[in-house]
Amino acid sequence: MKFNTDRKWLERRAAQEDRHFISVGGLISTLDPTCQMQASASIPIVETTKTAFVRLLQLTRRDRRLSLEKLAEKADVDLAELVKIENDESFMPGPRTVHQLASVLDLPAKKLMVLAGLLQAKDPSLQQASVRFAARSEPIGNISPEEHAALEEYVKFLNER
Amino acid sequence: MRQTIQIIDSQTGQPIDAEIFDEITLAHFIETQADWRPVVLEAARALAKDPKRATLIPSHFHWDWTRKEAELKMLALRFYGISCKARLQGIMKVDTVARSCRLPEQQGKPLVYIDYIEAAPWNIKQLMEPLGKRQQFRSVGTRLFEAAVLQSDEEGFKGRLGLHSLPGSEGFYIKECGMTPVGRDPHKQNLLWCEFTPEQAHRYLAGE
Repeated sequence: MKFNTDRKWLERRAAQEDRHFISVGGLISTLDPTCQMQASASIPIVETTKTAFVRLLQLTRRDRRLSLEKLAEKADVDLAELVKIENDESFMPGPRTVHQLASVLDLPAKKLMVLAGLLQAKDPSLQQASVRFAARSEPIGNISPEEHAALEEYVKFLNER
Repeated sequence: MRQTIQIIDSQTGQPIDAEIFDEITLAHFIETQADWRPVVLEAARALAKDPKRATLIPSHFHWDWTRKEAELKMLALRFYGISCKARLQGIMKVDTVARSCRLPEQQGKPLVYIDYIEAAPWNIKQLMEPLGKRQQFRSVGTRLFEAAVLQSDEEGFKGRLGLHSLPGSEGFYIKECGMTPVGRDPHKQNLLWCEFTPEQAHRYLAGE
Protein backbone atom coordinates (compact mmCIF):
# COMPACT_ATOMS: atom_id res chain seq x y z
CA MET A 1 0.00 0.00 0.00
CA LYS A 2 1.29 3.41 -0.87
CA PHE A 3 0.45 5.72 2.01
CA ASN A 4 0.72 9.46 1.62
CA THR A 5 4.11 10.61 2.92
CA ASP A 6 3.46 14.33 2.63
CA ARG A 7 3.73 15.84 6.10
CA LYS A 8 1.44 18.77 5.30
CA TRP A 9 -1.25 16.35 4.12
CA LEU A 10 -0.92 14.37 7.34
CA GLU A 11 -1.11 17.47 9.54
CA ARG A 12 -4.13 18.80 7.70
CA ARG A 13 -5.92 15.46 7.97
CA ALA A 14 -4.98 15.21 11.67
CA ALA A 15 -6.51 18.63 12.31
CA GLN A 16 -9.70 17.53 10.54
CA GLU A 17 -9.84 14.34 12.60
CA ASP A 18 -9.34 16.29 15.84
CA ARG A 19 -12.57 18.20 15.23
CA HIS A 20 -14.77 15.09 15.10
CA PHE A 21 -15.34 11.57 16.24
CA ILE A 22 -14.49 9.17 13.45
CA SER A 23 -16.40 6.19 14.81
CA VAL A 24 -18.24 3.83 12.54
CA GLY A 25 -20.26 0.93 13.89
CA GLY A 26 -23.51 0.37 15.76
CA LEU A 27 -25.30 2.66 18.14
CA ILE A 28 -25.81 1.96 21.81
CA SER A 29 -29.32 3.25 21.53
CA THR A 30 -31.53 4.74 18.89
CA LEU A 31 -34.18 6.02 21.26
CA ASP A 32 -33.05 9.53 22.00
CA PRO A 33 -29.90 11.52 22.84
CA THR A 34 -30.46 11.45 26.59
CA CYS A 35 -30.83 7.69 26.54
CA GLN A 36 -27.61 7.52 24.58
CA MET A 37 -25.86 9.44 27.31
CA GLN A 38 -27.34 7.30 30.08
CA ALA A 39 -26.47 4.09 28.31
CA SER A 40 -22.93 5.24 27.71
CA ALA A 41 -22.39 5.85 31.38
CA SER A 42 -23.48 2.32 32.23
CA ILE A 43 -21.69 0.19 29.68
CA PRO A 44 -20.92 -2.82 31.87
CA ILE A 45 -24.60 -3.07 32.72
CA VAL A 46 -25.59 -2.90 29.05
CA GLU A 47 -23.16 -5.67 28.14
CA THR A 48 -24.28 -7.95 30.95
CA THR A 49 -27.96 -7.44 30.46
CA LYS A 50 -27.61 -7.96 26.71
CA THR A 51 -26.48 -11.53 27.31
CA ALA A 52 -29.47 -12.04 29.59
CA PHE A 53 -31.73 -10.46 26.93
CA VAL A 54 -30.61 -12.94 24.26
CA ARG A 55 -30.80 -15.93 26.60
CA LEU A 56 -34.23 -14.87 27.84
CA LEU A 57 -35.58 -14.69 24.30
CA GLN A 58 -34.03 -18.00 23.32
CA LEU A 59 -35.25 -19.90 26.35
CA THR A 60 -38.72 -18.38 26.33
CA ARG A 61 -39.10 -19.14 22.64
CA ARG A 62 -37.96 -22.72 23.12
CA ASP A 63 -40.08 -23.10 26.25
CA ARG A 64 -43.10 -22.14 24.14
CA ARG A 65 -41.92 -24.52 21.38
CA LEU A 66 -41.76 -21.75 18.82
CA SER A 67 -39.40 -21.86 15.86
CA LEU A 68 -37.68 -18.63 14.83
CA GLU A 69 -39.93 -18.47 11.78
CA LYS A 70 -43.07 -18.95 13.86
CA LEU A 71 -42.03 -16.32 16.39
CA ALA A 72 -41.17 -13.84 13.63
CA GLU A 73 -44.56 -14.45 12.08
CA LYS A 74 -46.51 -14.14 15.35
CA ALA A 75 -44.63 -11.00 16.41
CA ASP A 76 -44.72 -9.51 12.93
CA VAL A 77 -40.99 -8.86 12.94
CA ASP A 78 -38.36 -9.46 10.30
CA LEU A 79 -37.00 -13.03 10.50
CA ALA A 80 -33.49 -11.84 9.60
CA GLU A 81 -33.55 -9.40 12.51
CA LEU A 82 -34.67 -12.15 14.88
CA VAL A 83 -31.84 -14.40 13.70
CA LYS A 84 -29.39 -11.56 14.31
CA ILE A 85 -30.76 -10.90 17.78
CA GLU A 86 -30.27 -14.53 18.79
CA ASN A 87 -26.85 -14.95 17.20
CA ASP A 88 -25.09 -11.60 17.48
CA GLU A 89 -25.10 -9.93 20.87
CA SER A 90 -23.59 -6.79 19.38
CA PHE A 91 -26.69 -6.38 17.22
CA MET A 92 -29.02 -3.70 18.52
CA PRO A 93 -32.68 -4.51 17.85
CA GLY A 94 -35.14 -1.73 17.14
CA PRO A 95 -37.59 -0.63 19.86
CA ARG A 96 -40.57 -1.84 17.83
CA THR A 97 -39.10 -5.31 17.50
CA VAL A 98 -38.44 -5.57 21.23
CA HIS A 99 -41.95 -4.34 21.97
CA GLN A 100 -43.52 -6.87 19.61
CA LEU A 101 -41.47 -9.73 21.04
CA ALA A 102 -42.42 -8.74 24.58
CA SER A 103 -46.05 -8.73 23.60
CA VAL A 104 -46.01 -12.17 21.96
CA LEU A 105 -43.84 -13.81 24.63
CA ASP A 106 -45.76 -12.17 27.43
CA LEU A 107 -42.72 -10.43 28.89
CA PRO A 108 -42.61 -6.92 30.41
CA ALA A 109 -41.79 -4.63 27.47
CA LYS A 110 -39.98 -1.91 29.40
CA LYS A 111 -37.74 -4.42 31.19
CA LEU A 112 -36.97 -6.08 27.91
CA MET A 113 -35.98 -2.67 26.50
CA VAL A 114 -33.57 -2.25 29.41
CA LEU A 115 -32.09 -5.70 28.90
CA ALA A 116 -31.67 -5.01 25.19
CA GLY A 117 -29.72 -1.83 26.00
CA LEU A 118 -32.39 0.50 24.63
CA LEU A 119 -33.18 2.02 28.03
CA GLN A 120 -31.06 2.66 31.08
CA ALA A 121 -31.32 0.27 34.00
CA LYS A 122 -32.42 2.21 37.08
CA ASP A 123 -32.58 -0.83 39.34
CA PRO A 124 -29.13 -2.26 40.23
CA SER A 125 -30.69 -5.54 41.28
CA LEU A 126 -31.64 -6.10 37.64
CA GLN A 127 -27.99 -6.49 36.74
CA GLN A 128 -27.41 -9.01 39.53
CA ALA A 129 -30.46 -11.02 38.52
CA SER A 130 -29.37 -10.86 34.86
CA VAL A 131 -25.88 -12.14 35.66
CA ARG A 132 -27.34 -15.01 37.67
CA PHE A 133 -29.77 -15.88 34.91
CA ALA A 134 -27.09 -15.71 32.17
CA ALA A 135 -24.85 -17.97 34.23
CA ARG A 136 -27.56 -20.55 34.83
CA SER A 137 -28.76 -20.83 31.24
CA GLU A 138 -27.21 -22.11 28.03
CA PRO A 139 -28.19 -20.74 24.63
CA ILE A 140 -28.28 -24.09 22.80
CA GLY A 141 -29.73 -27.54 23.32
CA ASN A 142 -33.01 -28.60 24.82
CA ILE A 143 -34.32 -26.63 27.74
CA SER A 144 -33.53 -28.49 30.94
CA PRO A 145 -35.57 -28.50 34.16
CA GLU A 146 -32.88 -26.29 35.73
CA GLU A 147 -33.08 -23.83 32.86
CA HIS A 148 -36.85 -23.87 33.09
CA ALA A 149 -36.60 -23.04 36.78
CA ALA A 150 -34.08 -20.26 36.10
CA LEU A 151 -36.32 -18.87 33.38
CA GLU A 152 -39.40 -18.90 35.59
CA GLU A 153 -37.54 -17.26 38.45
CA TYR A 154 -36.12 -14.54 36.20
CA VAL A 155 -39.43 -13.75 34.48
CA LYS A 156 -41.08 -13.59 37.91
CA PHE A 157 -38.39 -11.12 39.02
CA LEU A 158 -38.93 -8.97 35.92
CA ASN A 159 -42.68 -8.90 36.43
CA GLU A 160 -42.45 -8.06 40.12
CA ARG A 161 -40.07 -5.08 39.96
CA MET B 1 0.84 -7.00 5.50
CA ARG B 2 2.90 -4.87 7.85
CA GLN B 3 4.09 -1.41 6.89
CA THR B 4 5.74 1.51 8.56
CA ILE B 5 3.69 4.69 8.39
CA GLN B 6 3.80 7.95 10.26
CA ILE B 7 1.30 9.38 12.66
CA ILE B 8 1.71 12.55 14.73
CA ASP B 9 2.98 12.56 18.30
CA SER B 10 0.88 15.16 20.10
CA GLN B 11 3.54 15.83 22.72
CA THR B 12 6.19 16.88 20.20
CA GLY B 13 3.95 17.80 17.29
CA GLN B 14 6.30 15.74 15.13
CA PRO B 15 5.59 12.71 12.95
CA ILE B 16 6.49 9.41 14.56
CA ASP B 17 6.89 5.96 13.04
CA ALA B 18 4.04 3.52 13.60
CA GLU B 19 3.09 0.21 12.06
CA ILE B 20 -0.08 -0.63 10.22
CA PHE B 21 -0.79 -4.34 9.91
CA ASP B 22 -3.58 -6.75 9.12
CA GLU B 23 -2.49 -9.75 11.21
CA ILE B 24 -5.00 -9.03 13.94
CA THR B 25 -5.35 -11.71 16.59
CA LEU B 26 -7.69 -12.35 19.47
CA ALA B 27 -5.04 -10.82 21.73
CA HIS B 28 -5.53 -7.48 19.99
CA PHE B 29 -9.28 -7.70 20.52
CA ILE B 30 -8.77 -8.45 24.19
CA GLU B 31 -6.37 -5.50 24.41
CA THR B 32 -9.09 -3.16 23.18
CA GLN B 33 -11.46 -4.50 25.81
CA ALA B 34 -9.00 -4.42 28.67
CA ASP B 35 -7.11 -1.19 27.91
CA TRP B 36 -9.53 0.94 25.95
CA ARG B 37 -12.90 0.42 27.63
CA PRO B 38 -11.97 1.71 31.12
CA VAL B 39 -10.58 4.92 29.59
CA VAL B 40 -13.67 5.44 27.43
CA LEU B 41 -15.90 4.86 30.43
CA GLU B 42 -13.91 7.30 32.56
CA ALA B 43 -14.17 9.93 29.82
CA ALA B 44 -17.88 9.25 29.34
CA ARG B 45 -18.49 9.76 33.06
CA ALA B 46 -16.59 13.05 32.98
CA LEU B 47 -18.55 14.21 29.94
CA ALA B 48 -21.86 13.16 31.50
CA LYS B 49 -21.25 15.61 34.38
CA ASP B 50 -21.26 18.52 31.95
CA PRO B 51 -24.62 18.91 30.17
CA LYS B 52 -23.00 21.08 27.50
CA ARG B 53 -20.63 18.31 26.54
CA ALA B 54 -22.87 15.30 27.15
CA THR B 55 -23.62 15.06 23.44
CA LEU B 56 -19.93 14.30 22.88
CA ILE B 57 -20.22 10.96 24.65
CA PRO B 58 -19.37 8.36 22.06
CA SER B 59 -22.26 6.17 21.12
CA HIS B 60 -20.45 3.15 19.76
CA PHE B 61 -18.43 1.51 22.45
CA HIS B 62 -20.72 -1.40 23.19
CA TRP B 63 -18.94 -3.27 20.39
CA ASP B 64 -17.19 -6.20 22.01
CA TRP B 65 -14.26 -7.11 19.79
CA THR B 66 -13.62 -10.33 21.67
CA ARG B 67 -16.83 -11.67 20.18
CA LYS B 68 -15.41 -11.13 16.70
CA GLU B 69 -12.79 -13.86 16.94
CA ALA B 70 -14.62 -16.19 14.53
CA GLU B 71 -14.55 -13.47 11.88
CA LEU B 72 -10.75 -13.38 11.81
CA LYS B 73 -10.69 -16.32 9.43
CA MET B 74 -13.29 -15.01 7.00
CA LEU B 75 -11.74 -14.13 3.66
CA ALA B 76 -14.15 -11.31 2.88
CA LEU B 77 -13.19 -9.53 6.08
CA ARG B 78 -9.97 -7.75 6.83
CA PHE B 79 -8.93 -6.30 10.15
CA TYR B 80 -6.33 -3.57 10.39
CA GLY B 81 -4.48 -2.33 13.41
CA ILE B 82 -2.03 0.48 14.04
CA SER B 83 0.60 0.05 16.72
CA CYS B 84 3.03 2.57 18.12
CA LYS B 85 5.22 2.36 21.22
CA ALA B 86 4.13 -1.28 21.62
CA ARG B 87 0.47 -0.40 22.04
CA LEU B 88 -2.51 -0.81 19.78
CA GLN B 89 -3.57 2.70 18.73
CA GLY B 90 -6.50 1.99 16.44
CA ILE B 91 -8.43 -0.82 14.81
CA MET B 92 -10.65 -1.20 11.75
CA LYS B 93 -12.76 -3.92 10.17
CA VAL B 94 -13.59 -3.84 6.46
CA ASP B 95 -15.75 -6.11 4.33
CA THR B 96 -15.38 -6.52 0.58
CA VAL B 97 -18.46 -8.63 -0.06
CA ALA B 98 -21.43 -7.71 2.12
CA ARG B 99 -22.29 -4.32 0.58
CA SER B 100 -22.28 -2.66 -2.81
CA CYS B 101 -22.60 0.90 -4.09
CA ARG B 102 -25.87 2.75 -3.64
CA LEU B 103 -25.16 6.04 -5.41
CA PRO B 104 -27.19 6.06 -8.65
CA GLU B 105 -24.11 6.62 -10.84
CA GLN B 106 -22.33 3.56 -9.42
CA GLN B 107 -25.27 1.51 -8.14
CA GLY B 108 -24.39 -2.16 -7.53
CA LYS B 109 -20.67 -1.81 -8.09
CA PRO B 110 -18.37 -3.44 -5.53
CA LEU B 111 -16.85 -1.38 -2.77
CA VAL B 112 -14.88 -1.71 0.43
CA TYR B 113 -17.26 -1.35 3.35
CA ILE B 114 -15.89 -0.05 6.64
CA ASP B 115 -17.84 -2.00 9.20
CA TYR B 116 -16.03 -0.58 12.19
CA ILE B 117 -13.28 1.92 12.88
CA GLU B 118 -12.08 3.13 16.24
CA ALA B 119 -9.05 4.94 17.58
CA ALA B 120 -7.77 4.18 21.06
CA PRO B 121 -9.45 6.59 23.49
CA TRP B 122 -6.16 8.26 24.45
CA ASN B 123 -5.86 9.39 20.82
CA ILE B 124 -9.26 11.10 20.79
CA LYS B 125 -9.08 14.77 21.69
CA GLN B 126 -12.73 14.99 22.76
CA LEU B 127 -12.25 12.19 25.28
CA MET B 128 -8.95 13.35 26.72
CA GLU B 129 -9.92 17.00 27.26
CA PRO B 130 -12.57 16.29 29.95
CA LEU B 131 -9.95 14.18 31.75
CA GLY B 132 -7.50 17.08 31.66
CA LYS B 133 -5.11 15.15 29.45
CA ARG B 134 -3.58 15.69 26.05
CA GLN B 135 -4.25 13.12 23.34
CA GLN B 136 -1.21 10.92 22.64
CA PHE B 137 -1.23 10.44 18.89
CA ARG B 138 -3.08 12.22 16.12
CA SER B 139 -4.21 11.00 12.67
CA VAL B 140 -4.72 7.35 13.69
CA GLY B 141 -8.25 7.27 12.26
CA THR B 142 -7.04 9.09 9.16
CA ARG B 143 -4.43 6.41 8.48
CA LEU B 144 -6.94 3.59 8.95
CA PHE B 145 -9.40 5.32 6.63
CA GLU B 146 -6.60 5.83 4.09
CA ALA B 147 -5.82 2.09 4.28
CA ALA B 148 -9.44 1.27 3.43
CA VAL B 149 -9.31 3.55 0.36
CA LEU B 150 -5.99 2.03 -0.71
CA GLN B 151 -7.40 -1.48 -0.28
CA SER B 152 -10.33 -0.50 -2.50
CA ASP B 153 -7.83 0.51 -5.16
CA GLU B 154 -5.90 -2.74 -4.75
CA GLU B 155 -9.08 -4.82 -5.00
CA GLY B 156 -9.90 -3.12 -8.30
CA PHE B 157 -12.79 -1.17 -6.78
CA LYS B 158 -11.06 2.09 -7.77
CA GLY B 159 -11.38 3.64 -4.33
CA ARG B 160 -15.13 3.05 -3.98
CA LEU B 161 -15.90 2.97 -0.29
CA GLY B 162 -19.02 2.87 1.87
CA LEU B 163 -19.83 3.15 5.55
CA HIS B 164 -22.64 3.80 8.00
CA SER B 165 -21.59 6.89 9.91
CA LEU B 166 -22.58 7.42 13.51
CA PRO B 167 -24.29 10.79 14.08
CA GLY B 168 -21.24 12.33 15.74
CA SER B 169 -19.00 11.33 12.86
CA GLU B 170 -21.06 12.52 9.91
CA GLY B 171 -19.23 15.85 9.75
CA PHE B 172 -15.91 14.08 9.45
CA TYR B 173 -16.87 11.83 6.59
CA ILE B 174 -18.92 14.37 4.63
CA LYS B 175 -17.20 17.70 5.24
CA GLU B 176 -13.63 16.63 5.85
CA CYS B 177 -13.28 13.49 3.73
CA GLY B 178 -15.68 14.54 0.98
CA MET B 179 -17.93 11.47 0.99
CA THR B 180 -21.44 11.71 -0.41
CA PRO B 181 -24.27 11.27 2.13
CA VAL B 182 -26.59 8.91 0.26
CA GLY B 183 -29.35 8.47 2.82
CA ARG B 184 -30.40 6.99 6.13
CA ASP B 185 -30.50 3.20 6.28
CA PRO B 186 -33.57 1.83 8.10
CA HIS B 187 -31.88 -1.58 8.21
CA LYS B 188 -28.88 -0.20 10.12
CA GLN B 189 -30.32 1.82 12.98
CA ASN B 190 -31.15 4.64 10.59
CA LEU B 191 -27.47 5.53 10.32
CA LEU B 192 -26.31 7.64 7.41
CA TRP B 193 -24.86 5.70 4.48
CA CYS B 194 -21.91 7.59 3.02
CA GLU B 195 -20.07 6.65 -0.14
CA PHE B 196 -16.93 7.49 -2.09
CA THR B 197 -16.86 7.55 -5.88
CA PRO B 198 -13.44 6.85 -7.46
CA GLU B 199 -13.01 10.57 -8.09
CA GLN B 200 -13.79 11.51 -4.50
CA ALA B 201 -11.49 8.76 -3.19
CA HIS B 202 -8.58 9.94 -5.26
CA ARG B 203 -9.20 13.55 -4.31
CA TYR B 204 -9.00 12.42 -0.68
CA LEU B 205 -5.76 10.54 -1.20
CA ALA B 206 -4.23 13.46 -3.06
CA GLY B 207 -5.31 15.88 -0.37
CA GLU B 208 -7.41 18.13 -2.57
